Amino acid sequence: MSELGRVKQWNTFARCWHLFDATWQNPLECAPTIEKYLKGFHKPIYHPFVDCGDHVVVMNSKQIAFPGEEWRRRVYFHHTGYSRGASWTPAWILHDRDPTMIFKKAVYHHMKGNLFRRVVMERLHIFSDSNVPEEIMENITNQIRPLRPRPKPLESYSKKEIEEFPKIIDYPNDYVLSKN
Amino acid sequence: MVFTTAMMMVRSRGPDEFWRKRKIFKIAAHFSGRRRNCYSIAIKAVHRALQFATIGRTIRKNDMISLWNTRISAGCEEHGINIHNFKDSLSRCDIQLNKKVLADLAIWEPSSFKALSDLAKSVSIDYNLPGADKYEKPTHVVTRGLLLK
Repeated sequence: MSELGRVKQWNTFARCWHLFDATWQNPLECAPTIEKYLKGFHKPIYHPFVDCGDHVVVMNSKQIAFPGEEWRRRVYFHHTGYSRGASWTPAWILHDRDPTMIFKKAVYHHMKGNLFRRVVMERLHIFSDSNVPEEIMENITNQIRPLRPRPKPLESYSKKEIEEFPKIIDYPNDYVLSKN
Repeated sequence: MVFTTAMMMVRSRGPDEFWRKRKIFKIAAHFSGRRRNCYSIAIKAVHRALQFATIGRTIRKNDMISLWNTRISAGCEEHGINIHNFKDSLSRCDIQLNKKVLADLAIWEPSSFKALSDLAKSVSIDYNLPGADKYEKPTHVVTRGLLLK
């Protein structure tokens, strides 16, 4: 192989690192997108037997969002293997114990189960906050676009903006809006 | 032994036993264990293998089609165009490239594929296909609405 050809091959099969900010994102919706980058569906050279996937770094996994009643209704099952070893944990309790676990399970369960699944999962790096180690951060070359816009919290609006916001009625003076 | 009628021919055990079994053993040559050497086991394994081969001929085609689709959509994504708009625009221009050729172009001829995607973008803007309002019109593709039919 010529020198140019060798370098072309290195560049073609080089692994990239992608950053994904999970703030206010639904992990179940994110899973197909993350899977695409982990398995290399986004490259035209993709083949199921070729290990051409990339690394994905997910940060702020503590800030994920579930729709509606999902935090209470969604239950994660675990069995120790012994008799009466089954346990069912609601999503909000699991998220308290390990803020990275729900995102990891969402991606893991979305992928089809085969011998490559655990290998592919090794390339997913999840961090509960934005403190990503420097040795990982220096590899990152791309940021995955968030799937849904991050809503602006009320605290971030200035007092002037809130006052100027159009309103239909003025609340009476003795009306309690909130306790704090 | 001479068979006088066709009826007797059907009842006969066919060709010589050695050659009849050899046909099966040749198919079973790459099997493991006794499935390769014992005729009564080999014939069952060969029967199963040939059934799988029949099914596999259909599955292989489907697998290749899904692989080509994955590769084409990856190529389209690199240039920021939706795969449905891409295929729709190409067929509207009478560009009759099949999935295999498009996938090969995406891998081996990236600039040709980019040219196709630019053409597809401008055509989908001309036809006002769904989602085409997000595309930027490529400057080097001059259609002047002539591709409209």
